Amino acid sequence: MYIAEIRNKLVQGDKKIADVTNDVLKSVEGKMTRGWMFGFAISFVFLMLMVWALYNTVTVGIGTWGVNKTVFWAWDITNFVFWVGIGHAGTLISAILLLFRQKWRMAINRSAEAMTIFAVICAAIYPLFHMGRVWLAYWVLPLPNAFGSLWVNFNSPLLWDVFAISTYFSVSLLFWYLGLIPDIATIRDRAKSKVSKAVYGFFSMGWNGSTRTWHRYEIVALILAGISTPLVLSVHTIVSFDFATSVIPGWHTTIFPPYFVAGAIFSGFGMVLTLLIIARKILNLESYITVNHLDAMTKVIMLTGSMVGLAYLTEFFIAQYSGVQYEQYAFLNRATGPFAWAYWTMMFCNLVAPQVFWFKWSRTTPWFIFMMSIVVNIGMWFERFVIIVTSLHRDYLPSSWVLYMPTFTEVALFLGTLGLFFTCFFLFVRYLPIINMAEVKSIINDRE
Amino acid sequence: MGHHYITQLPNERYKFSKRGRLVTGFLMIVGLLIAGFGALRLQDSWQADNHSSELHENPHTDNYNSENHIASTHAENVDHHSSTHVENHSEGHHSTGWLSRVWAAFLVNAYYFFLFAVGGLFFVAVNYVANAGWATLIKRVAESMSSYIPIGFVLLMAAVYFGGEHLYEWLYYNNHKADLPADHLLDDKKWFLNRNWLYIAPIIFVTIWYALRTVIRRLSLKEDHEGGLMFFNKSIRFSAAFIVIFAFTFSVFSWLIMMSIDPHWFSTIFSVYNFAIMFVSSVTVITFITIFLKGQGYMNLVDEEILDDLVKFMFGFSIFWAYIWLAQFLLIWYANLPEESIYYYERWVAKYYPFFVANILMNFFLPFLVLIARYAKRNKYITLFGGILILVGHWLDIYLMVMPGVVGEKAGIGPLEIGFGIFFLGLFCYVLRHSLSKADMYPKNHPFVLESANHEVGP
Repeated sequence: MYIAEIRNKLVQGDKKIADVTNDVLKSVEGKMTRGWMFGFAISFVFLMLMVWALYNTVTVGIGTWGVNKTVFWAWDITNFVFWVGIGHAGTLISAILLLFRQKWRMAINRSAEAMTIFAVICAAIYPLFHMGRVWLAYWVLPLPNAFGSLWVNFNSPLLWDVFAISTYFSVSLLFWYLGLIPDIATIRDRAKSKVSKAVYGFFSMGWNGSTRTWHRYEIVALILAGISTPLVLSVHTIVSFDFATSVIPGWHTTIFPPYFVAGAIFSGFGMVLTLLIIARKILNLESYITVNHLDAMTKVIMLTGSMVGLAYLTEFFIAQYSGVQYEQYAFLNRATGPFAWAYWTMMFCNLVAPQVFWFKWSRTTPWFIFMMSIVVNIGMWFERFVIIVTSLHRDYLPSSWVLYMPTFTEVALFLGTLGLFFTCFFLFVRYLPIINMAEVKSIINDRE
Repeated sequence: MGHHYITQLPNERYKFSKRGRLVTGFLMIVGLLIAGFGALRLQDSWQADNHSSELHENPHTDNYNSENHIASTHAENVDHHSSTHVENHSEGHHSTGWLSRVWAAFLVNAYYFFLFAVGGLFFVAVNYVANAGWATLIKRVAESMSSYIPIGFVLLMAAVYFGGEHLYEWLYYNNHKADLPADHLLDDKKWFLNRNWLYIAPIIFVTIWYALRTVIRRLSLKEDHEGGLMFFNKSIRFSAAFIVIFAFTFSVFSWLIMMSIDPHWFSTIFSVYNFAIMFVSSVTVITFITIFLKGQGYMNLVDEEILDDLVKFMFGFSIFWAYIWLAQFLLIWYANLPEESIYYYERWVAKYYPFFVANILMNFFLPFLVLIARYAKRNKYITLFGGILILVGHWLDIYLMVMPGVVGEKAGIGPLEIGFGIFFLGLFCYVLRHSLSKADMYPKNHPFVLESANHEVGP
């Protein structure tokens, strides 16, 4: 393929093929560093906080949460949507960017896909425990059963969610694992201890690197990418249906599906940047995850942030235009009611702040991008909070108007899922290569 | 790598032949004649209709009665507070003489061809911003499409200015308030649905779009003569500015020109839906022009590798359109709020139901099946077949957006609609070919032009 000279090299610093293996596997084969142990320990403490919060929720009951009969969805669904959204960057990078032949994705797809999987695990915790009796969670599946006419409601978008997210999780896990097999085989071949040889040997499924094996691998990868592409759209579309199919003012709006998908990609890239900017620094991977990668990702942030912002303004405009007083009130109340601070936080973080990426300096300065990625994470968390809580806390009957405040258990649960997410990520960094070595080797001299 | 790369581009310039001019001129004249014939026939039949039924006091109330009929059948399906709304909706209905249908047919075509022009510009801008190289060889095709913006916009606004009272119920209501029963919803919307917005806002928007188009085009032509990266880098900046401005202004543009035809109804995704129509149909037009030029012996460097990718865009964005279509339809159907679902009730009457079904078939299911295979994207006859489905399909799509709100069930597809279609086709082709002949076919100093010339899709 002919590539113009003005494009940047994908891998910088004159790396040879052997360098890729050595650089990437340093974190897996080397000794545990202090930084790693420190980070892992903190994450683990937070994970224990989650265990406590869940124990409290199950043994005492949902009453430990701040939800009430008007705001019946709040903290839990906010976090559920937040985590599902985080996962979208992984699928976008591995599926959509593959279709658009964006080779820069090869340095970041592995870690982004890992985040997808961890994020979906974090997301699943919330609805499962909101059921109250989590040991009956399998009732959400349409299983033949002995409980009389117990059967799931196929008309409910909540059930579509069950299907969408479990499909999403399975395909993402499969895709991620498939991509890992050649790299796991590399670790196996270099392993010194018997245990790691056996474990990596088991998970490499007898990979031998022959042409025939590669051929099959590529066919399966392409098919899985094809399946993943609609998943990028479908999962958050169905999450948006949880709200939009209702008749709650502020929820029932037709732009929700594409706007949720754009928001999910926006927040997902925010989280990918947060983690990768740290990882590339600590693991010395700046030649692979280059400033050009950050530049491209911040452009995606700016684009999706503006799309989300356009959707905010469209919603606001159409609510006023509709002539429906409930819609008008719902949106005015968001901007001026008791949760106005949350609304303006969202507006600032998602629409205003990303506009700073119009300037080249801000797209190429890692510490600044890191700060901005945190801003994006905060903004997207508040977006879900604003949508869910502000629409619910004003019922049609003013006698039902209430406020919502999270309880300590709920806050602990959210901090705990952050702990779970980071614990998983630290384990991933320690035991698996965070860059797809096989793919990066294939583009070592290419330009983007 | 053993490949033999193209490193030199031939100089090519499109020649707008005398025969070409004659054909496009002929199309315009024939189109207008057919449309005129259709209009006359329509006038006759409309008057005959009115004479035969004594119930109607004047032609303006035709639609009023038919609407009430729909309303009463729908009231069974929807709950109580719907009936007040449905009454509201039919109360203020405006003039629906035969001229209304003439203006509606004109608007459908004027809007559709205008979307091609804007879509061409959007395609150029997106390619700059995305640093995409593969489509550089066909850049001039998309650029030339955008040269239709001024004339297309003048005709579109002619419909809005001169046919406004026929097309926009709210405008008729505002102008003849004294004679009409009060419509509170329309009174409430006066802050946006008024003459100032309708007449002035689109002019401001399109002026900005065209100004940016002029800059981008000029930079591209200068690049041809002088070379260097400066023009390319500047074009990226202007393209980014265009895309942002366009996203916001096109939303308002589509609300004013299209959504306000059904002024009681609203949908937040409406502007995205119009954007989807614009993008998928203009990519199809780009593909068609490229195939046409190749047939004339031009653009020999553009092979099936580039066409393959173009058809992928047709394929992919017809799925995107279906996604947006579904988002709007499913959410409105599921919630079944009368003020929203009225839009689809009006399109489920006998008159429109076949078009409603054809819309989904021609814009999603059939192109999906026809264009999915690799060989289909590399075979010009299959591509043309799929593309005709998409182009006719989206014409119907816009027809469905315009007609029910303007003429109710007094619609049809006859010489009027087709005649205007032929007229606009001729005009569009004339402007396009004129613009194509003004610059080199290949932007030879574009930094990615050789990438495009050596483009390979891969396995």
